[in-house]
Amino acid sequence: MMNTNELIQRLSRDLAPVEPLWRPGSRAVAWLLAAAIYVVVLTALLAKSGSPLELASPRVWLPHLAAIATCLLASWAAFASVIPGHSRGPAVWAALAALVWITTVVVASQWHSDVATIVAARHEAACVAVIVLGGAPLLVAMVAMLRRGAPFTPGTTAAFAALAVGAITNIGACFWRPHAVDDVMLVWHGGAIVALVLACAVLARLVPLSLDAGLRRSP
Amino acid sequence: MTAPAQPGDALGPLMRAAQGGDAAAYAELLRKIAPQVRRVVMRQRAFAGIADVEDLVQDVLLSVHAVRATYDSSRPFVPWLLAIVRNRLADGARRYARTARREIQVDESDVTFFEVETNTDTAELGDADAVREAVRALPEGQRQAIELLKLKELSLKEAAEESGTSVGALKVATHRAMATLRRALAPKR
Repeated sequence: MMNTNELIQRLSRDLAPVEPLWRPGSRAVAWLLAAAIYVVVLTALLAKSGSPLELASPRVWLPHLAAIATCLLASWAAFASVIPGHSRGPAVWAALAALVWITTVVVASQWHSDVATIVAARHEAACVAVIVLGGAPLLVAMVAMLRRGAPFTPGTTAAFAALAVGAITNIGACFWRPHAVDDVMLVWHGGAIVALVLACAVLARLVPLSLDAGLRRSP
Repeated sequence: MTAPAQPGDALGPLMRAAQGGDAAAYAELLRKIAPQVRRVVMRQRAFAGIADVEDLVQDVLLSVHAVRATYDSSRPFVPWLLAIVRNRLADGARRYARTARREIQVDESDVTFFEVETNTDTAELGDADAVREAVRALPEGQRQAIELLKLKELSLKEAAEESGTSVGALKVATHRAMATLRRALAPKR
């Protein structure tokens, strides 16, 4: 075992300057701006002709507003979770925003379809692809940013990151082709986001997302 | 959200200087926090031995080093440090639990077995002249095998090259030679 004093000497010898990380809120806003540009471009490239969503209706814009708020707060929570000693406030706010978002979507959806109809709506699989595959670059970008922090709770961090990605790509998935805000969309889109969040949380624990690797860098 | 200043927050400026690359400030900071971290670790892991405590302290120092960019100089230093200590302690406990599940601790012992015959390191050395005489009395092939493998300590391949025989033949010759020597050197009853 190395002597602690020797370790201190080794760590302080040839110490490289580091740029302190921006505050979690600033990093979240920076990521959200880049993500918004990406989603707008992606949606424009994929866009199909047809009747667009009725944005004038609160049934449509309210869930999207809640999704944007969830995205911002979830990314804030993800970036705050990699700062040692940071309060859990962002995580609570993100959870509340997600709850509000789910509520607005559930209220806006017109529940009239049976399970068979929902399962048969295979065209929604394309939206799932937009959410998951389209969100992959955003997730990679966020993981790269998160790895500069101290990911002590990789599962939670990855879950919030995936929630932020799912929330913003869901908006793109709603606009790239004509959609009805209904139970079919809720189940397919919501299912994709829930699956994304769970998969990321589990993977981050299994693979430590190599997030924890940051703590094991040798001096 | 800024907590009231604590005595340990004098460490904040040192970390800020360290972030800028000030090695002296960093060394001073680490020297100051090491005893504090050690106290916390000893309090939390009262059952741990000195080596384990020191291991955890070093783990914390390495983590502080790896994530020093996450320190925000507008915030107090001590809560930041304690969060790292808590995490490393939890991580250490998980590591210990994993190790304890798959490893069995045994005391180191001087001997492999309790039987007297197996404790060759404590056995008395035999008569060197008798051994030399017994080796000399071996048939040519067996004697050469013993000399090359046991006295010169060559590998089987090297001995085979030098003697011009095969590895298999050398093994057989050695086995027979050892049996002959064992018989010849056995104590007379």
